[in-house]
Amino acid sequence: MFEGLSHLGHAWLGFMNVTSIVFGLGGALTGIIVGCLPGLSATLCIALLTTMTIKLPTNDAILILICSYVGTLYGGSRTAILLNIPGTAANAASCADGHALALQGQAGRAIGIATSGAFTGTLFGVICLAAFTPVLAEVALSFGAYEFFWLALFGVAMSGTIVGDDPIKGWLMGALGLFVAQVGQEGLYAHDRFTFGWDQLSGGIALIPALVGSFGFAEVLTTLADPVERKLVELRDSVLPRFREVAQYWRTVFRSGVIGVLTGLMPGVGEDAGAWMSYAAAKATTKEKEKFGKGSIDGLMAAETGDMASIPGHIIPCLALGIPGSAPSAVLMAAMIIHGVQPGPMMMITHPQFIYDVVAMTSMATISILIFGLFLVKPLLLVLRIKRTVLMPIIFLLCTVGAFAGASRLFDIYSMLVIGTGAFFLRRRGYQMAPFVLGLVLGGLLDKSLRRGLVLSDGSIAPFFTRPICMGFATVTIFVILLYVPAFKALVQKVTGAIGAQFKALLPGKG
Amino acid sequence: MTQPSPTDTQPTAVPQGDEHRRVARSDLEGGVGWMALGAAILIASVRMDRLEEQHINPYTIPGLLPGLLGIVMLMLGFLLFVRSWRRGGLHPGAGESMQERWVATKRILMVLALCGTFAVILVGHGLPFWVAGATFVTVAILTLQHAQRVAAGQKLTLRKVLTTALIGLGAGLMITLVFQEIFLVRLP
Repeated sequence: MFEGLSHLGHAWLGFMNVTSIVFGLGGALTGIIVGCLPGLSATLCIALLTTMTIKLPTNDAILILICSYVGTLYGGSRTAILLNIPGTAANAASCADGHALALQGQAGRAIGIATSGAFTGTLFGVICLAAFTPVLAEVALSFGAYEFFWLALFGVAMSGTIVGDDPIKGWLMGALGLFVAQVGQEGLYAHDRFTFGWDQLSGGIALIPALVGSFGFAEVLTTLADPVERKLVELRDSVLPRFREVAQYWRTVFRSGVIGVLTGLMPGVGEDAGAWMSYAAAKATTKEKEKFGKGSIDGLMAAETGDMASIPGHIIPCLALGIPGSAPSAVLMAAMIIHGVQPGPMMMITHPQFIYDVVAMTSMATISILIFGLFLVKPLLLVLRIKRTVLMPIIFLLCTVGAFAGASRLFDIYSMLVIGTGAFFLRRRGYQMAPFVLGLVLGGLLDKSLRRGLVLSDGSIAPFFTRPICMGFATVTIFVILLYVPAFKALVQKVTGAIGAQFKALLPGKG
Repeated sequence: MTQPSPTDTQPTAVPQGDEHRRVARSDLEGGVGWMALGAAILIASVRMDRLEEQHINPYTIPGLLPGLLGIVMLMLGFLLFVRSWRRGGLHPGAGESMQERWVATKRILMVLALCGTFAVILVGHGLPFWVAGATFVTVAILTLQHAQRVAAGQKLTLRKVLTTALIGLGAGLMITLVFQEIFLVRLP
């Protein structure tokens, strides 16, 4: 424990210089501006900044990326409050109550609540990040091919189930992502798969161009397909954060922090799940249910705390297991690999200091958003006045640079175009991109783990189901998929209903 | 800044039944597409080289996971097809008129053409990035705002063209300066 504290102290001291502070603040500011602009996601922001910071030292580059990640999600709440459009998907839960408060002439108060919720939520997540990442990494050291196979499959299945409202489409996108990851030379024998003799495909589809395509170019198309410009609500009152309200709603803040971190731990689920689950939990337990959706402070605080707490939550499995918790953390993981840091169980052995560096970076990001929340709210809102017909061509220019810069090959620009166009049409048909991205990231791991596991067991699939951790993952994965079968779902509801009735009968005054 | 009217935040009213039918129809087509893709992947995986001449372990053949993924896509595509068929996907849904659909399609095709021209023709073939970028941004803004100008009954003035060209030039130069000169990133 003391060794961990010493590492953390070193990490903090390492960032106490002008360059790091400027990079941290710059990253957070860029993130807030991107978050403010509807349609531009945290994934796109981190992907573009990854290419921009490719020549910087590792710690400076990752600091900028983490600060921009936190900044984007924080910035998105302003658009939700003032325009009733979530700046990022994670801010959708803030729209209802945040915008309702704005319409009542309390836009500044709503932004203040969002700032205090975001600060407290991220801080809570940072504490969990520092406490649980080393522990999880220690546990993951005992993982073998069988466990990693299930972990990858579990991630894609969970992502497909939770993201969006149609699990079949989610799983299909996950399968598509896993398949796209198989294109190119495979990891064991360097055999070309699905390249059709085209050399450019031998290297596979790179992650950054795929992400820039599915989250950047697809968004440019989506935004320009809907030319309607939204109107801003006027900001009249003070935007200073209300920490008195944090104290008043401490139960909501704590509950949402825990929910945010827990949803963050689930692979590929995304920050919006943290926000929505926290919002639902607050609605279920509040005394002012009638205010929800009409300007409830409790609801806004829950949504903002939940989504921000899930950021450090997403970074935990990313560092400890090498399994990203969300699409933005997938880019963050790719950036770490580009800079020579391989996330995963071996990180505690190869780069023990790095985990604590990330903790220090995330806390710097938290402080940065508070600073901008205090001093730069109104000037930053000017970016919301930029017309989308002006902004989107510039964003596409950045997408081209972002796709190209990683490997300096034109093929990556073309794959960004193709994937982006495909993503645009698929999104219009109700397919979500997050399971696709997770499949793309985990495809290589799933392939290697399956084949290595089968070699170790000499073709038997029994170890995939009989090892203790595998049993846990397999049970949850299969259970989640079976829940979609109506007969099984009805049976589960019958059983849980019966158990619930028994518990209800035991409660005082209910019997 | 002005207050939005209540209608600003409300989605266009589409009859619930028509919307359902349209989704079912789209899913039906999607189901067929996924089944075709799954079948193609499965066939390609079965026919993939098993590297027998290298005497590899038969459980590590390269086509193993892709083949399994092909089967998964086939099954899920079939489920999607059956579900949308049961929801009335065989009957074409009403909704947007042909004219509305054509306006939306035309706009998307225009954006695709603009972006495709920039990324495939202008970039990476010797033209400096800032020139290509400035040209693209200027042309794209003028083209995209054309419909809005027509709707508002405005004409394209020289001042408007010059302002747009200035925005394009600024964007091209700024991106080149920041990426190439400050962060030392190679541009296409």
